Amino acid sequence: MSAPRGKSPAPVGKPARPARSGSRAARPLHCIVLVKQVPDVSNIPEDAWDREKGTLKRAMLDSILNPLDLQALTFARRITEAHPGSRTIYLTMGPPQARETLVDCLSRAPGEAVLLTDRAFAGADTVATSYSLACAIRRIEKELLGRSRDYVIVTGMQSVDGDTAQVPPQIAEELGIEHIAYAQALETQPELAIRRIGPQGAEVVRPLRYPVLTTVTACMDPLYRSFHQAREARSGPIHEWSAESVGASPQRIGLAGSRTQVYRIFSPSEERSKACEFVHEPAELIDRIQARYKAAGGRARAAEGEVYDLAGRKPSYKGEFWVLVEREGDGIRSVSLELLGKARELADCLGEKVGAVLPCGEAGTLAKDLIACGADTVYAMEHPLLCEFLPIPFKKAVSELVRKHRPQVMLFGATPLGRELAPRIAYACDSGLTADCTKLEIGDYAKGDLDLVGILKQTRPALGGNIMATILTRDSATQMATVRPGVLRVPPRDPSRTGRVIRSKPDLAARELGVRTVSVEALEKKASIRDADIVVSGGHGLRSRALFERLLRPLADELGRVLGGDAKVGASRIAVEDGFATHDRQVGQTGQTVQPRLYVALGISGAVQHISGMAGSEIIVAINKDPRARIFNYADYGMVGDIELIAPALIHELEKR
Amino acid sequence: MKPIDVLIVGAGPAGLAAAIRLRDRFDQDGRDASVVVIDKAFGPGYHNLSGAAFEPAALDELLPGWREERNLLTDHVTPVKRDEMYFLTGRWALKLPHFVVPRRMHHTGDVTIPLSRLVQYMAQQAEKKGVELYYGYSARSLIVERGVVRGVKLADAGLDKDGRPKPNYMPGEEIRARVTILADGTRGVLSTQFRELFGAGRNPQVYSVGIKAVVNFPDENPFGNNRVVHTLGYPAPNSVFGGGFMYSMGEKTVAVGFILGLDWKYGDLNPQRELERYRAHPFVRRQLKGGTVLATGAKTIPEGGYLSLGRLTAPGALIAGDGAGFVNIEKIKGIHYAIQSGVCAADTIADAFPAGDFRHDALSSYSQRLTELGLMRELKHARNYRQSFRWGLIAGMPLSLIQSHLPVALATHPDRLTTRRGAHRGGRDAGGMDQTTYISLTGTSHREDEPSHVSILDASQCLECADRFAASCTHFCPGQVYRWSEGEDGADGSVGVPSGDAPRGGEIVLSPSNCLHCMTCAVKCPYDNIRWIPPEGGEGPRYKAM
Repeated sequence: MSAPRGKSPAPVGKPARPARSGSRAARPLHCIVLVKQVPDVSNIPEDAWDREKGTLKRAMLDSILNPLDLQALTFARRITEAHPGSRTIYLTMGPPQARETLVDCLSRAPGEAVLLTDRAFAGADTVATSYSLACAIRRIEKELLGRSRDYVIVTGMQSVDGDTAQVPPQIAEELGIEHIAYAQALETQPELAIRRIGPQGAEVVRPLRYPVLTTVTACMDPLYRSFHQAREARSGPIHEWSAESVGASPQRIGLAGSRTQVYRIFSPSEERSKACEFVHEPAELIDRIQARYKAAGGRARAAEGEVYDLAGRKPSYKGEFWVLVEREGDGIRSVSLELLGKARELADCLGEKVGAVLPCGEAGTLAKDLIACGADTVYAMEHPLLCEFLPIPFKKAVSELVRKHRPQVMLFGATPLGRELAPRIAYACDSGLTADCTKLEIGDYAKGDLDLVGILKQTRPALGGNIMATILTRDSATQMATVRPGVLRVPPRDPSRTGRVIRSKPDLAARELGVRTVSVEALEKKASIRDADIVVSGGHGLRSRALFERLLRPLADELGRVLGGDAKVGASRIAVEDGFATHDRQVGQTGQTVQPRLYVALGISGAVQHISGMAGSEIIVAINKDPRARIFNYADYGMVGDIELIAPALIHELEKR
Repeated sequence: MKPIDVLIVGAGPAGLAAAIRLRDRFDQDGRDASVVVIDKAFGPGYHNLSGAAFEPAALDELLPGWREERNLLTDHVTPVKRDEMYFLTGRWALKLPHFVVPRRMHHTGDVTIPLSRLVQYMAQQAEKKGVELYYGYSARSLIVERGVVRGVKLADAGLDKDGRPKPNYMPGEEIRARVTILADGTRGVLSTQFRELFGAGRNPQVYSVGIKAVVNFPDENPFGNNRVVHTLGYPAPNSVFGGGFMYSMGEKTVAVGFILGLDWKYGDLNPQRELERYRAHPFVRRQLKGGTVLATGAKTIPEGGYLSLGRLTAPGALIAGDGAGFVNIEKIKGIHYAIQSGVCAADTIADAFPAGDFRHDALSSYSQRLTELGLMRELKHARNYRQSFRWGLIAGMPLSLIQSHLPVALATHPDRLTTRRGAHRGGRDAGGMDQTTYISLTGTSHREDEPSHVSILDASQCLECADRFAASCTHFCPGQVYRWSEGEDGADGSVGVPSGDAPRGGEIVLSPSNCLHCMTCAVKCPYDNIRWIPPEGGEGPRYKAM
């Protein structure tokens, strides 16, 4: 039973083969692992909440190594183990306290560590952070790796506090290297190949040039800390580098180098009305849900009556509102149309035009659809290298266009493509970027010496979804944002709309490619409750597995049919422990976080840990036999009674419709 | 790898006091020796809980000057100026005049402090002095070779729910040292093993469980400042040794709690519900009006005292603090003893260092030191105190006043043997905070894929327990780790078997991730059918101000 410490199982995919002499596998492949110390948002003490202001006192949270960076560390270990003679360097940027994170890393997998610390870095957003880390990486390459270019930069896909996933691609952009995102597994024989989720599906890619950067998702069992290694790490050297020592230019770091600014933080529940409406008849409950469901899906819409009025003032930005259009097969990905609708609405506030940027092999009839959905101009960039998504050619083409036309706003879908591309484009255009916005609106901002009119206010969740932040862009020609699919609504098509199409052929070359795609597998849509529009969850109150299965699936199916949407079954932790459902259905702090349009909780008491997994749902309905159950504090609609009677009655009622 | 000279298991007041004292002695004596402390908690103070009303003299000696400058401790210490005792009935609170309360139970000169804060401060000081502190490492067992303690073995990490190694499996490392101090707290796993190997006390150790809530107020609080209140009586039934407390902690916080002797006879007594009963009492409710509970916790207290002390030293090891059982239940105090015993342990080792011999003889001066310090004398005075209450509160009170003069040593019985068939707690539930919310405020968490660190050894005994004792663990565990499930055809999977119902079939279902590491289950299971081993390091509760 005792495996020697650190021995990993056979690499994923191919059986191990001896490395050919002289091949890549025989040479060292160093790893620079980027890590971050973050607040532990999975364990928030009650007194860390400032309930009045709706904010979280970050200082009262424990500090931990970012969980995805722990994955990266484990991933990197696999790489270095397969390439004897490789060195591992941990790099973090933070206050002196961040040293603890490096000791933590060293106690899991030995190596060297660099703490990039300087007061000048304070207040940095992703752009400034990426630049600073890139400078440190250059120094590491020079001084610690003896100028070797044979290394991989490995880091977690995102950090739990910022959640933007922007820094890694922006570092890659600053260094001028490829980045491979969403890595899930690796092969090391005969050479390094990384399996990842890309826009096309599950891909296996092989770097053609080094260095390369890769970001890692939760895919491995992370390495534990060893006591003896921790002891060594304490006394071992940790390099401490300042901004000047890595050649970082002062205007590009810290506040000065930032292109976005947080201007308001508030609680997510501010956006939901508190009182639960108790209903007594199943039919009445269905009526309420139906009415509200139809109106939902426009979370990002301004509330009724709130239309921005420029009132003859001069807006701070000038230019068009652009959308980066993603293709799906022969058509357009729905999120791009959703964004067009939004761009239209925002542009109309300021009397500006809407542009749709379409990288493609050949535009064909797509331009017409884009105009029908709200575009005034379609910028069709046609080139063979733009047929399938590749970050660097796409980035090059789009940023050139952006620099030429200087739109005031550019929107991207927060899709696998958007999340890889937008940060690189933003960095290349020296623009601020806000990721995963749940709300976009035009507004004003006046504070100190800032007096901004008609700017884009970008609202997004942060700190693991525990708070909301509204952000504005600064010192940029273009305000850029990404929005999750499904948050906005697809606008109605108006075939009578007219617009123009501007075609161009960007200057791109195949030899610019730094990775080779070895294989692609279209991903079958997995039954993840995360993607569902409707989640029907059962808890302890269901009492038995038989009851759980008998009631929940039919209820979910009927709701999906009547309301229209993908409906899945979820479970509370106790229900999973009782064996009513498998762990992949668990909703909550230690399960999945879901944000469906409708969440129905049956027989769930509403423990804090469960709530944190579903509080972001648009409509919450709770059914429980205890009128004082905590879940009712979070529900929009509730019914008190025996689930065994209510659930079949609801199903029956739905079947009639 | 530099070898370890002194290994201390447990970074509570005893362990840290020993570590600080050792570093002072080694620096003084000019010795280059390493002092390493390990603790299973995620961070300093996270597994430490007490009231606490504390005699600061021991700290004044160990860390003189702590009062002089503003620091973590001075920020959280509250001098006691008012000290009261009440007797509660269901509705009334009768104040006991000061002269009636035995002198030993007066708290003049004490301070109140959340124990976790005290521990955080001590940890800070220890690090400054060069103590090596490592959090998140669970010690699973002693390494004993030819009768000599050589160190400890850590718990395995990286097993899945069924006990199979995962790709990141790390077998528990061995940490060897020249001498080991066990300071692993109440019913510590290693101290228990130590007693099994080297000798237990004359009396079996007995325990209470303390269950606590920290109440915060937006401005002034009705309870008042610098005030300490102890209560006897309600809600503890006459046969149960217990009482409540309320302590001012600064100006905006009051710690409220209830302590219950685990020798209760009721199969279905639930400590958390008792705390809610206490908080619902008109007197208590008035004191805490307008406050919000922001943190909760629970832990056992070893109460056997002098007669339950076992062997304190063995070749290569000594035990200190609650793990040894240094608690004076007459004064309801144990923290300063923990510090004192830690200091004595350190001095004993520092003196034995030149000879480099840590066999039993060299360490035997430990007991002498404890005696010289007065610790043993005080414990000896209280040696029959707890046992006096075996026959109930009314009989116990007069007996407790003369117990020190009794020429006999009163025996204790293991707490698990006192649960009586069919004894039901009864009474109406007081409402208040539900247990699920209570548990979430402890901040406890464990990796859910981990093998359960609590195990029921023989499930068939649980059926008998459900019949006779209402499946006791489903009631007494503050974390609701144990739930009774009757399976497919039975009635609901209720937490506790309702009194009077004999279930047809069923079993205990576990939620080990709720565990508070309080150790009640290890003590109170009527069939001694529960095994508690430490889970992976860094888990369990996160007490910040307990």
